[in-house]
Amino acid sequence: MKVTMKRFAVLQLSGCAGCEVALLNAEAWVEQYKLVYMPLVISAEDVPEVDVLLISGGVRTDEDLYKLRRAVKNAQQVVAVGTCAISGGVANLGDRDEVRALFLAEGDRPHVPRLLPKSHPVDAFVAVDLYVPGCPPTSELFMAVLTNPEAFQASKIVCQECGRRKLQDMRPKHLLGFQQGEVLPDICLINQGYVCIGSSTRGGCRAPCTRAGHPCVGCRGPSDVFIEKESEAWLTSIKRVFASLTDVPDEEVGAALRSPQLALFLFQFSDYADNKTVGGDRQPRPKEKVL
Amino acid sequence: MTTLTFPLSRIEGHARVVIDVRDGSVQSAKFQATEFRGFKYLVKGAPAEQMPVIVPRICGVCSTAHHVASVKALEDAFSITPPPLALTIRELLMLGQLLQNQATSLFIFTMPDRLGVDSIFDVDETGMDGDTLAGVAARALHVRQAGTHLITLAGGQFIHPVKAVIGGVTGGISAEAADAMRVELADALPVACALFDTYWAHSVALSERLGTWGDDAPACYLTAVGGTHPNYYGDFIRLMGCEGGDVCAQFPAREFRTFLTVEEAEYSYAAQTSYQGNVLRANSLARANLVDSLDTPCANDYLQRFHREFGRPAHAILLFDLARGIELVYAIERAIEILRESLDGAETRLPYEPRDGDGYGLVEAPRGPLIHHYRIENGLIAQAEFVIPTVHNVLAIERALRVAAERYITPERVNLELERAVGRVVRAFDPCIACATH
Repeated sequence: MKVTMKRFAVLQLSGCAGCEVALLNAEAWVEQYKLVYMPLVISAEDVPEVDVLLISGGVRTDEDLYKLRRAVKNAQQVVAVGTCAISGGVANLGDRDEVRALFLAEGDRPHVPRLLPKSHPVDAFVAVDLYVPGCPPTSELFMAVLTNPEAFQASKIVCQECGRRKLQDMRPKHLLGFQQGEVLPDICLINQGYVCIGSSTRGGCRAPCTRAGHPCVGCRGPSDVFIEKESEAWLTSIKRVFASLTDVPDEEVGAALRSPQLALFLFQFSDYADNKTVGGDRQPRPKEKVL
Repeated sequence: MTTLTFPLSRIEGHARVVIDVRDGSVQSAKFQATEFRGFKYLVKGAPAEQMPVIVPRICGVCSTAHHVASVKALEDAFSITPPPLALTIRELLMLGQLLQNQATSLFIFTMPDRLGVDSIFDVDETGMDGDTLAGVAARALHVRQAGTHLITLAGGQFIHPVKAVIGGVTGGISAEAADAMRVELADALPVACALFDTYWAHSVALSERLGTWGDDAPACYLTAVGGTHPNYYGDFIRLMGCEGGDVCAQFPAREFRTFLTVEEAEYSYAAQTSYQGNVLRANSLARANLVDSLDTPCANDYLQRFHREFGRPAHAILLFDLARGIELVYAIERAIEILRESLDGAETRLPYEPRDGDGYGLVEAPRGPLIHHYRIENGLIAQAEFVIPTVHNVLAIERALRVAAERYITPERVNLELERAVGRVVRAFDPCIACATH
């Protein structure tokens, strides 16, 4: 039976290994798949021929790029997992005029891989067959990738997986901020004045953060409705939700949405739909390719 | 000059070892961290209150430690002390992290070195001796998973947790959920002990085959847990001098620059720490050397046996791994105790007033003392420092690599055991490169 086991590999570029750790928790693959390359847990020199190649992390160094190009030629299917592989990730917060010079100075070291000017998504260099957003994707999502992505059942948005009740008569006038206040159980976090963007964030995570009393920061990216559109469409939709559930001024919501901890995730797909910002000829990632 | 380069696997992140040899004599042994994302720069200008969400992304293996250190740093800056229940739940978080990490390091990273396989997942296929190793991968993952469930319970998510917030935690733990977790941990305890016994026996066999536990010169040891009732939530950093004995220095996080010298290296994206010119060591062996006794029965038995068999302070490299097993058992036992308490009280967080200034947050991460320092101006991060446990161990790793290199390199030849030795030495320190370079 073992002969027919599908073979998969995990290539970790510049990231935090959170995706790998989430995969390790999806222990069921041990029975069904043969893991042949994953430096975190296996001593193996190179990516051999595999059915599925999971790639995590952004392309931050010339060594990342080299490993990426070498690995994909041996893979039947290439899957980008996590925010970093899809958008460059948290490291992209450094792609700003104010701090860019600091990064360039760091890259002046001999004997270590050279830093690229910014952290790139994997599909800036190679074709990707499937995108699995999440920071990190849950163990359940990893199992779905390996077994049968088409059969994966999820709600369209995090809101539908959260279980908190939306109230029409509990309308905060101002936002609380991420860290303030006592969280009431069972009631929508937006009603309580938190900047929760689960209302248009892609479902499939089963809403662990909002269930634990923390607002959704959108790590799964936009739902199918917005995934091929510019980020503005997503932001407008979030503002509309706040207008219907709260009396918080529109500008206040807009300002809160332009914050780094959301920026990490909000733009992971939308940049591609906006050629004006990217300046390239990339097409939006089609929603059919996103789990 | 000949340069030997060893890529590394079964550690967190990207690093390699480079050994320079001339005429059979080892010139240098370097530990190079080869990745860099630049958190200390990229958080500049971010609202300080968002750090508990952003900085766990430094590392998915250690995200809990960064999450808690970050919240503590902000509470220090805002002069707020969380209610007792919040502190208890945070201790649980740190125990979940310890359990998860030590299980991963012991069984997934270093067990293969004891068994001569490339990966723990290969053991079943090799048909090694049935009784103690049968299904070892599945059992190891099972124990490890109990740790991830504990983090999820106390932190909301087991990677990049969210429940610790400035002033406390977002909520308590229901009696029902606590009971279920306690049952899961109670089931995991004998499995963990049996795996650790197997690990200990195979480690003894390895040391007999090699003729050494990886002897190395004495070092100074560094930890943020106390001598008894260790609490990984962290309070002060304690230092043990090379000659052992009593704690020779004890200081709060904000005074770390007085005692620790942190220097950048041009050949690596990771910095390195020293103490008055001495090599430092953090991580499990530092704690085993500095902790007199553990307040849970099985773990304390293991610790006393460890002290008896290897002396105190113990310096041999492979003892880092054994000490990790003691903590694996401790984390499970201590978490079971805490889960017996009532954890669903009403007061889980206190309000706070944000203000500018400096804040320091200290926790004892599985790899040692972790400090976050933020300078806040106009509510934004003006400067951020991450003092990383792995960085404390860099010089110790390089010294141990040199010892190994000198052992296996002679003017006549390079013994092929060197490659395995390099892996064993580095893994004993369980370095985390994503953290070290951040």
